[in-house]
Amino acid sequence: MFDLPLSGVNVIDLTRNTAGPYCTRLLADYGASVTKIELPDSGDPSRKVPPFFDNGESGEGSSLFMFLNTGKKSLSLNLKSTRGLEIIKELIKDADILVENFRPGVMESFSLDYESVNRVNNGIVYTSISNFGQTGPHRDWKGSDLVLYGMGGPMINTGHPNKEPLQLANYLPSFHVGATAAAATSIALWGAEQSGEGDWLDINFFETLMGHIDRRSTSLLAHQYDGTISTRPPVAGTPGSGIWPTADGGYFYTTVLSNRFSSMAKMIGVEHLLDDPLWATPAARAAPERVDEFSAILILWMLDHTKSEIRDAVEKAGVYGGPINNIGEFLQDKHFEERNFFQQIEHPVSGSLTYPGYNFRLTIEDQEEKVATRTSAPLLGENTNELLRDRLGLDESEIQSLRKEGVV
Amino acid sequence: MDKQSKATKKLPLEGIRILDFTVVWAGPFATQLLAEWGAEVIRVESTKFFPSTTRGILARPSKELVQQGGIGGYPDADPGERPWNRAALFNVHARNKLSMTVDLTTPEGQEIFANLVSKSDGLIENNAIATMERAGVSWEKLSKINPEFVLVRMPAFGISGPYKNYRTFGSHMESLVGHYSLFGYEGETPEASGTSLFADPASGVSGALAFMSGLRHRRNTGKGIQIESPTAENFANQLGPHIVGYSMTGVVPEYTGNRHPVYAPQGVYRCKGEDRWISITITDDAEWDELCSIMGAKELSQNSEYGTVEKRRMKHDVIDQAISNWTIKQDNIELMNMLQDRGIPAGAVMNEKDAFEDPHLQERGYWEELTHPEAGTYKYPGVLWKSKAIDNKLRRAAPRLGEDNEYVYKSILGYTEAEYQKYEKDGHIGMDYDDSIQ
Repeated sequence: MFDLPLSGVNVIDLTRNTAGPYCTRLLADYGASVTKIELPDSGDPSRKVPPFFDNGESGEGSSLFMFLNTGKKSLSLNLKSTRGLEIIKELIKDADILVENFRPGVMESFSLDYESVNRVNNGIVYTSISNFGQTGPHRDWKGSDLVLYGMGGPMINTGHPNKEPLQLANYLPSFHVGATAAAATSIALWGAEQSGEGDWLDINFFETLMGHIDRRSTSLLAHQYDGTISTRPPVAGTPGSGIWPTADGGYFYTTVLSNRFSSMAKMIGVEHLLDDPLWATPAARAAPERVDEFSAILILWMLDHTKSEIRDAVEKAGVYGGPINNIGEFLQDKHFEERNFFQQIEHPVSGSLTYPGYNFRLTIEDQEEKVATRTSAPLLGENTNELLRDRLGLDESEIQSLRKEGVV
Repeated sequence: MDKQSKATKKLPLEGIRILDFTVVWAGPFATQLLAEWGAEVIRVESTKFFPSTTRGILARPSKELVQQGGIGGYPDADPGERPWNRAALFNVHARNKLSMTVDLTTPEGQEIFANLVSKSDGLIENNAIATMERAGVSWEKLSKINPEFVLVRMPAFGISGPYKNYRTFGSHMESLVGHYSLFGYEGETPEASGTSLFADPASGVSGALAFMSGLRHRRNTGKGIQIESPTAENFANQLGPHIVGYSMTGVVPEYTGNRHPVYAPQGVYRCKGEDRWISITITDDAEWDELCSIMGAKELSQNSEYGTVEKRRMKHDVIDQAISNWTIKQDNIELMNMLQDRGIPAGAVMNEKDAFEDPHLQERGYWEELTHPEAGTYKYPGVLWKSKAIDNKLRRAAPRLGEDNEYVYKSILGYTEAEYQKYEKDGHIGMDYDDSIQ
């Protein structure tokens, strides 16, 4: 088996819920060995998030948990016990990375704050993910994906002009912050391996979303440039842009910037408009009446074609647009099928399920793809015995007594 | 660590040189993150080709068009003499990067490019496949020039497959992979939802992680690598739980507006003023009781019909109405501060002005000022995460087109003054787009 970029990198995963586990999942996908520490009784709270494969009857098989925790090993450990703390510190000695997403101060209450961990292992990259960061007046504020997307992200720009701002699909802000933490950790690890000195990274939702490139960062600079306070723009802001009903009862979404109008006009056979001074230049087409006039023409064309016909047409014409698919339709899409994107992963309780493939694909000189084999998300404490035995050299009776004492 | 050693510690990516062929948002965000942590990122541009939606939507928009809005911001709404150096769209992400120009459509340009590849660690791009073919960027070619090269490609759908030549923005990839079926107002069609542009930043982060993986592969094996990070495939992972959930249940979910899959109530409520809103998420019964007490709504907290999250979900419409009736009279920032003081997860939906005024971001030194010679002095969202070991700050404003030609051609590539002048005469080196480009 070939080595992956993060092969040999040991990660102590003290994350729960969504953002932290997505970070460590990405590290696992590219070869890191991830030890997920869970509380003995309840485990990661995301184990309880619906939908489940069996309506929650078995207490296993949350789709959120199953997705986020592939490729990891689960060690159940009571961090509040003395022996539990000793065990985690032993594990930390051999670790390269520790990732945690407790509220600020909680790691300190376990005596696992950066200073304490650094004393055990001074080369470790210690990544903290939080709502607002480890310092500052909002440090202890509570958050949710909605609250944090509204404060940090471009929620003021998301939704309909005449309605309340709208959140995106569940968990997206958390996923974005988790992925950012994975990139940050990987960059810091590169530095730590060269200098021999570890680092503590402070990554948080508020600042990550405030500086991410979806509208937000551009509009922050644009606001200083020209005073604009942005709000929710109509989708049909320029002629040809919009979300249109199609002949087969679906929807198709197009964006036509001022310099690409001619492609759209040609696609639907009205290129003669470009000879008319009312339509000839970007400035002329920016008049609000043009938007409505063109929409009236375009909607009829859309209603006369299916989503798939329109997709073929926009590709050919060079118009920017895409079909609005649901997940079922996406799973049937020929492109992703041909690229073998989706994976089936077998789980001991819920059986075989469909997962998206890797975020990025590694290819070596001979163009062969290099990937880790994903294992299904672990059951709570599934790997406790194995990890205590292999990593710490404990024998059967020692493990038994730890179980009896409620440490593991 | 004391302040001095913290300030002088090397950035982790110092000494790594990356050729930046990125456009629009996704690719530039990847190189932004790497440049922030010390990589020398050189944008390879051309005076003969204006990639749309990068240094502005048009190279030379009229003042009239800029003032109509919708084309991105320019300082004082004035495109100026060289609009491509003044567009907010570009200047916000290109901080810390360098810019050089070369005409890759000529054999001479390809020689210069080969020289660059031999002296760099890698290249990141997010263009249409055909555009990269024309520019002479392929793994076959680059790996021959530099066998230790790290090539990260971030195409829309992939470098193979039926959609490999399908060009769209990130928002359309999102709609194709299912995102637009997962957010929307209850009872409405997708037309009401507006748009999401989340695939671009997601892809940018993935591109940065991919590049780091490439560097590690090279260190582990001594060999270069090509990594493919298609925007659509990366974003499908952000929808991962929905995909796994669908494969479990076969259910296509309906739009649920701003509600939460587990907690209730959750919503975005109108406050006093124009387009002012607050988000609130109640995550347990204690927070619910506290909210009711703050609202003076004893009838809600003491009524057993609202006592559990399941019951509150059933009565969500009634609850939303009661909360809205209360928030509408209040200032959203003051309300956020008060609710958070009382332990309720709540946040104002912040516009640009709110963001700059927020005391937390100010106290953490989030905003950093940079001066751009053709755009002026402004605040930028700072380095995206903090490091204990390194007091990392932004180093320079976005490069003007071709601003670093002299450094790249002479110091990196080793060309003489005479050669530099020849390349200038031959149309590789310049700071203005060809007059023919609108």
